[in-house]
Amino acid sequence: MVNFIIRKVLLLIPMMLVISFLIYAGIELMPGDAVDFLLPPDALATMNPQELEILREELGLNDPFLIRFFNWLVGILHGDFGYSIQSGVPVSTLLANTLPATLELSVAALFISTLFGTLLGVVSALKKGSIGDNILTVAGMIGVAIPQFLFGLIMIIVFVFNLGWLPVGGRMTPGHEAFFQRLDHLILPAVVLGLSMTAGVMRYSRASMLDSLGKDFIKTARSKGLPEWRVNLLHGLRVALSPVVVLIGFRLPMLIGGAVVIEQVFQWPGVGQMFVAAVRTQNTPVIMMVAFFSVLIVLIASILIDIVTALLDPRVKLS
Amino acid sequence: MKKLLSLLLVLLISVSVFAGGSQEAASASSAAEPEWVSKGTPLADVRVRQALRYAIDMDTIVDTLFEGMAQTAVSLTSPGDWLADGLNEYEYNPELAKQLLEEAGWPKDYTLDVVYYYSDQQTVDLMAIIQQYWAAVGVKSSFRKLEGDLTSQLWIPPADMVNGPSEVKWDIAYAAIAALSESEFYDRFESTATNNSSIPYDAKLDELVQATRASADTEVQKAAFKELQKYISDNMLVIPLYHQIAFVYTSDRLDMKGNAVGNDQYSYEKNILDWTIDSPDGMMYTNCGPMEFYQAPNVNPGQFPYQEFLFDKLVNADASLNPTGGMLAESYEVSPDGMQIVFNLRDDVTWHDGEPFTADDVTFTIEFYLKSPGLNAVALNTFRAIKGAAAYADGTAESVEGVTVDGNTVTVTFERIDPNALLTFSQWPILPEHLLGSVNPVTAQQNEFWQHPIGTGPFKVSETVLGNYAILDRYEGYYRTGTGNIQRIFMFASNENDANLIKNAESGQIDYAFSKNVTDTQGIELLDNMTVHPVNIRYTRLFFVNEFPHPANIK
Repeated sequence: MVNFIIRKVLLLIPMMLVISFLIYAGIELMPGDAVDFLLPPDALATMNPQELEILREELGLNDPFLIRFFNWLVGILHGDFGYSIQSGVPVSTLLANTLPATLELSVAALFISTLFGTLLGVVSALKKGSIGDNILTVAGMIGVAIPQFLFGLIMIIVFVFNLGWLPVGGRMTPGHEAFFQRLDHLILPAVVLGLSMTAGVMRYSRASMLDSLGKDFIKTARSKGLPEWRVNLLHGLRVALSPVVVLIGFRLPMLIGGAVVIEQVFQWPGVGQMFVAAVRTQNTPVIMMVAFFSVLIVLIASILIDIVTALLDPRVKLS
Repeated sequence: MKKLLSLLLVLLISVSVFAGGSQEAASASSAAEPEWVSKGTPLADVRVRQALRYAIDMDTIVDTLFEGMAQTAVSLTSPGDWLADGLNEYEYNPELAKQLLEEAGWPKDYTLDVVYYYSDQQTVDLMAIIQQYWAAVGVKSSFRKLEGDLTSQLWIPPADMVNGPSEVKWDIAYAAIAALSESEFYDRFESTATNNSSIPYDAKLDELVQATRASADTEVQKAAFKELQKYISDNMLVIPLYHQIAFVYTSDRLDMKGNAVGNDQYSYEKNILDWTIDSPDGMMYTNCGPMEFYQAPNVNPGQFPYQEFLFDKLVNADASLNPTGGMLAESYEVSPDGMQIVFNLRDDVTWHDGEPFTADDVTFTIEFYLKSPGLNAVALNTFRAIKGAAAYADGTAESVEGVTVDGNTVTVTFERIDPNALLTFSQWPILPEHLLGSVNPVTAQQNEFWQHPIGTGPFKVSETVLGNYAILDRYEGYYRTGTGNIQRIFMFASNENDANLIKNAESGQIDYAFSKNVTDTQGIELLDNMTVHPVNIRYTRLFFVNEFPHPANIK
């Protein structure tokens, strides 16, 4: 087990290197560069090329690609993530401003979706074919199919405009910045994001539960005379959870990447919006920083999934 | 739905015209070689350019695609004092278009290469509609969106301004010109302009452009511009399409005390300190708060209202952007020959950090702008016209000779007349030397200053959560107090197309907002508590027509 973890963690380093290089190269392949987005097109259309050259030189965009990548890498190793080309703000500051908002929202949504998804999925599997199961199945289908923005806007119309219970968007009201004071801002985006993610978890855990309930070891457990709840929860659910854990594990990168659509609809100042803006304006340092952490989380999540699966499912052995 | 109908309409037109027009095509094939062949491109023939405009039903496009929220353009200049009377309106006339193309010997197998650089859906729809209109008169065209370095793809002039070949690779470019002054529309028509990539040398045209700069007298300028407009229109040197309209929205909680609503892309006398708001804490809600930074003024001095709330200028301007009187300058005096302006500065002005505002700030600001990249053309022309500006900009002089300070008086002496000097001083704010003095002007926008700027305006930055919201507080040290009650301004972060505007307005959190998005207007109009004010912004969309031959069209 320990060997397994050490080996996987060591493998992270070359993988991170290769992936960062690929992302950097991908940005390089996009037409134009950050200067083309620094100014509005109509202003660019009146500037002479020499002025643009001076700007590129000052921003260090004229160095060859490999040198820029190398400089970036050296910076990372020194803990320096560079500066946003657009605003000149250190990337670490940008992340410090947006990451807490994203974490807050995505942890809440992950919690909601995991709890309700697993619970409803298991109930649905145990009561297979009942009215409850059918209702949940239809609800799950709708949940998977409905676009998040539409769901979000409907919730805004109901809970903000009609009932007037909750604020329309943003993360806080000025002067009310403590966590509990701004909890009302979190409810709508977290519920919308959480519920739309619930559907997937629910469908997954239902199928997985049904699958494991049909397995031989369940029959064995039953034939040993164990009470039904023990059979279902300790034997069935434990094994059924492992594919669900994989699904949830691969949602962890959302903690960093944010939920772009929900952030947009609810004016939530998270990483997602910043990342989209950065990609649109070829703001390499910002893109790299978010991408770097997202990749890191994906890789770490895959290790975690391996470990948790091994713990949950007695048939899996790590070697 | 209207949009869909308009597209269908155009499709129908095109099908019917194609069906009827195919028989007559054969007759003209045996004619002599068309005149334009020697010039290397059919677009060199004025009849072709006129036909391309006659073929487009711009009025219908404005009514359908833009739902009436735009204005068909007959010239770059929008209707008003500065527009010549009696210009040919080139009203939709596909038959005349076909006839002109026939006369000019339009090559039927030629495909026009049309470029554009906007990515919004409206532009894409517009391009699709125009493609159909042109197809209906027998002109094939293909459209492509430019990516990357726009300047070099659009505006590099040919080495030979008479015969070309062209440095750019397109036949027609869809673009827009935002003009603070008329000269921004027309300077580029001169053969020596650094961004004239499409219009060949023409002695008469050069003379007409130069005439617009010959005098500081507005009446003389107007006459010169009108003559130039007529020449450009008759020769269809560019194809004007439409004037964009922007929108200011106000809530019924806000009373602007009769102050006019104007072009919020620039600064004008709003007298915000006299406004009243019906709210217990004196908070006014607005949009256009900073996304990544507060905008530095070199490119756009007043694109967002906060630029005006935070920074004062030397001179004030009215809603039509005519200079009205002093602002940071208590008074000013322009010499009769227009070659000198004397500003007498107020002595009771302080920066938001408490430092006194001085004449040195003015000198510093002029020098700072002279070294800022992408400085708007109007300001650039003003500052470059100052005596000794060139020597300062290229580094051979330590300071600008034409700017002198005597106590609280700043004297600016010009080398040549700049008709827009007062306009420039009414739009470009004075910046604090004590905070920006050691900052490289080239990358000034990336300096920390623009995360939390310090100005001399009636409001100061109180709290900023970039990309989320920002709050401005009334600056207690401001030299005027006003009669209104607005104490704080809450700004939702947005750019000029604010995706959350309608939602925020409906929940009562917009009192004054600015947007260029037509669809927002339709939503806001449905709200009982909001008023929509359309404003003319001197922003004209047009086609540039490349009259030089380029690799694709040289046969």
